[in-house]
Amino acid sequence: MLDPVVVTASSTVLTALLSVAACHKVRDWQGFTRIVRTYEVLPGFLAPAATAILAISELALASALVLPAWRPQAAIGVILLMALYASAIGLNLWRGRRGIDCGCSGPGARQPLRPVLLLRNLVIALLAVIAASSASERALDALDIFVVIAASAVALLIHLAVDGLLANQPRLADFSGR
Amino acid sequence: MELLIASNILLWLLLIAVAFTVMALVRQIGVLHGRIAPAGALMVDKGVAVNDPAPQVTAADRQGRAVNIGYRSDRAQLLFFLAPGCPVCKSLLPAVKSIARDNAGELEVIYISDGDMAEQQTLIETHQLHKATYVVGPEIGMTYQIGKLPYAVLIDPAGVLRAKGLVNSREHLDSLLETRHLGSASLQHYLHGQPAADPGNHRAHP
Repeated sequence: MLDPVVVTASSTVLTALLSVAACHKVRDWQGFTRIVRTYEVLPGFLAPAATAILAISELALASALVLPAWRPQAAIGVILLMALYASAIGLNLWRGRRGIDCGCSGPGARQPLRPVLLLRNLVIALLAVIAASSASERALDALDIFVVIAASAVALLIHLAVDGLLANQPRLADFSGR
Repeated sequence: MELLIASNILLWLLLIAVAFTVMALVRQIGVLHGRIAPAGALMVDKGVAVNDPAPQVTAADRQGRAVNIGYRSDRAQLLFFLAPGCPVCKSLLPAVKSIARDNAGELEVIYISDGDMAEQQTLIETHQLHKATYVVGPEIGMTYQIGKLPYAVLIDPAGVLRAKGLVNSREHLDSLLETRHLGSASLQHYLHGQPAADPGNHRAHP
């Protein structure tokens, strides 16, 4: 039994992350379809359909996480989605195709595939595990809600910062000639 | 209890501020990376390869004198491609002139332009290039496949093309001369640790 504040905060963060991710896909539909195609996990003609399914499922999971009744199921859905992304990345790493764009941080932020991206997915999946676990019965007061909002904001900002660091890392490596 | 709640709220707010600052810093580093990536003169992968013999062209300069490019001579040649309608080219002219002055003994600077003669004349007047070797005509630009301006090509006394690239600043121009000493095709190649030509060539020009 976890405190409801922890569970609510985790699901709020996941909602925000998934909405942002879906938003990226909608904003740069063709770019993301191209990325799906370069992953070479599916036959090329299925790439547009896969993009649509990914974007829709992200949006659906994001909205379902908001509803307390559906939260555990939606959180399990997020774990599965992260596992799907991780296996697509892992498969291409195993094939040795490190040069392709990850498509992790939205349009305009290319970054090559690296094992550390699997770790990123693992952290998001762990967050989903917390969101999926049952919360103890307790009414949330104003302070609790403040903590939920503040914790989500901090988590999102840290996510953005880590994302930026991950995107900068290959450029830094390029720059120092390694 | 009151104090604890107040302190908790304050800590959260401060934590948000710190997280925001960290994110902003990372963003700024990203922008800086984007800005400094092509640190040297940008090489456009067209035309003659670096460390290959430069194509030999002879063209007539403004006064009708023959200018030999790519032949063996006693001085290295810096070809500076410009056009009167290109503001960046004009802003680089003082730098090119000072490079020409500083390396007068070992470097011959040739200005290569194309287009309307009256505009060339105005450019020459404003930048006092009366004494410079100034070629007007498309032949050299076509031979070296120059697509973007301002472009600079460095040819050593043996007639071998040593460096080339799109130049947008004094630093880019200097980088061309610098890469000659480093033995790399361009500063990008040097930074990425990829030798541009066979190692034998590098040892000959350390």
